[in-house]
Amino acid sequence: MKLSVKIGDMTLKNPVMVASGTFGYGQEASDFLDLSCLGGIITKSVTLKPRAGNPPPRICELPGGMLNSIGLANVGLERFIEEKLPFLRGLNTQLIVNIAGGVADEFGEVLERLDDESGIAAYELNFSCPNVKEGGLEFSQNANVLSRVTRKLRKITKRPLIVKLTPNVSGIGSIARAAEESGADAISAINTVLGFAVDIEQKRPRIYRGLAGYSGPAIKPIALAKVYEAAQNVNIPIIGIGGIKSGEDALEFIITGATAVQIGAANFIDPRTSEFVLQGILEYGARHGVDSIASLIGSLKPWQESN
Amino acid sequence: MVVTTDPIKQLTPPSKWILDCDVIAVTELSSDIYLMRLHGSEIANNASPGQFVNLRLGSSGGSPFLRRPFSVCRRRVADGWFEILWKVVGEGTAKMAAFKPNMTVNVIGPLGRGYHWKESLEHAILVAGGIGVAPLPFLCEELTARNKKVIAYLGAQNVEQLVMSDFFESLASETVLVTDDGSLGKKGLVTVPLINYLSHSNDLKNTAIFSCGPSGLLSAISGICDNFNVSGQVAIETIMGCGFGVCVGCPVQTRASSSDKKSFKLTCIDGPVFDTRESIV
Repeated sequence: MKLSVKIGDMTLKNPVMVASGTFGYGQEASDFLDLSCLGGIITKSVTLKPRAGNPPPRICELPGGMLNSIGLANVGLERFIEEKLPFLRGLNTQLIVNIAGGVADEFGEVLERLDDESGIAAYELNFSCPNVKEGGLEFSQNANVLSRVTRKLRKITKRPLIVKLTPNVSGIGSIARAAEESGADAISAINTVLGFAVDIEQKRPRIYRGLAGYSGPAIKPIALAKVYEAAQNVNIPIIGIGGIKSGEDALEFIITGATAVQIGAANFIDPRTSEFVLQGILEYGARHGVDSIASLIGSLKPWQESN
Repeated sequence: MVVTTDPIKQLTPPSKWILDCDVIAVTELSSDIYLMRLHGSEIANNASPGQFVNLRLGSSGGSPFLRRPFSVCRRRVADGWFEILWKVVGEGTAKMAAFKPNMTVNVIGPLGRGYHWKESLEHAILVAGGIGVAPLPFLCEELTARNKKVIAYLGAQNVEQLVMSDFFESLASETVLVTDDGSLGKKGLVTVPLINYLSHSNDLKNTAIFSCGPSGLLSAISGICDNFNVSGQVAIETIMGCGFGVCVGCPVQTRASSSDKKSFKLTCIDGPVFDTRESIV
């Protein structure tokens, strides 16, 4: 089965990537997995300045997943370039740098600086982090704001721009359309679902900041609904994310309309998950005589009224 | 580091593995404390005292969702096994108590930074609080194998909670048992005989304290190390997401960073063992 897919000008050797914030900067998991089996690596969010992140507790386990409120802890742009990029650009997989920022100008500065660096295939714009005070969710909760920021950033780079969207909106279709119309090459859907949990003994939120992001298998139906809705509204590729842990899960997203997928929280439980997902896709392809993964994208059939 | 075109291959051999480990034995040491022996040569060979392993207890996507970290309690390189010691506190640890020989458990390890010592170390003082004894048998074996003199202070709530004292009594030059209720050994806090010992020691230059236990004990140990100007290391416990540094969910505030409230270290890759001069405030 031909596995390669295209996101803008970027060709992925297969549609299975690892999601931002679940795979560090690649090196952390390199003892467990041949990273060249990945279609792409999306880095931990890079911000202009280093960020220490939120105070603990940052995570808590829930049925079918977990809450996280890391707060974009990262080494910052300069150390990313000096310490992380040399390893990442040497890998035989597409490197997609995830960028976050408090204001549009911050995204722009990071983008400009990274555009001078070789080995980066594309950028994913984190417009959807629920765990920071500024520059998080609101960028992808309002179509006008998203358009304005995306248009600005579009002028800076020729590399593919992927806009990562939040599910925490009433209609993701108009948001996805705004991304497409503003020059985004693709959208990633979804970032985490806003969640909350309470320690009833202490009468305190189980996460320091209270509100946090829910991820894991429990959010897969929500993610699929958002991908379904987005697919009705845009022609640019959609990258499906949310609770994927198997080939079957990934295929649900692809058939619904995703061109590629990202593995998120499942990497915490087993950093080899992407490899298993790819194997699962190949087995399905063999079983169904699929020539090309591209033929499965959006192949969802409506129910027909029976006569 | 020089990076060539194929950085994965040119890096040093793996330092951590994901293994399906056979359960060799599960032993109930007291009403809620268990010791499990697992077969896993790569982990047994490469572990150092204070490092941990991360056990997968749920099926795919099932409960519990996250892995559970445990200190390596002992290992035998020749036989390819390692042990973990735990107290039943919740769903995961209860599930483990029902594990039977020949079952398979998926384990990632060895993980984290363990205890370390200088060649010149002569005298090691091990201080355990409750189930915090878990990493210390391995440390005791490694130290005594290198002819370091070991004194073990083992503290717990009561006789039921004080486990593996026989092991230390057979290996350490001295083992001091302390319980909160006096049901075994001295009554009171484990730090009392420790402070008494340090007060009567003339030279602590080649002495180091290695501890693991509840946070109250560990901050007391940090204070004691400061007061007696003795080197010390503590193994801390936090909730973890992944155990290998990608989820960034296990931050600890360090002493060095206490002036700057916005600086953290990660328990899983910077710890779980921290020098008392840098450990959590």
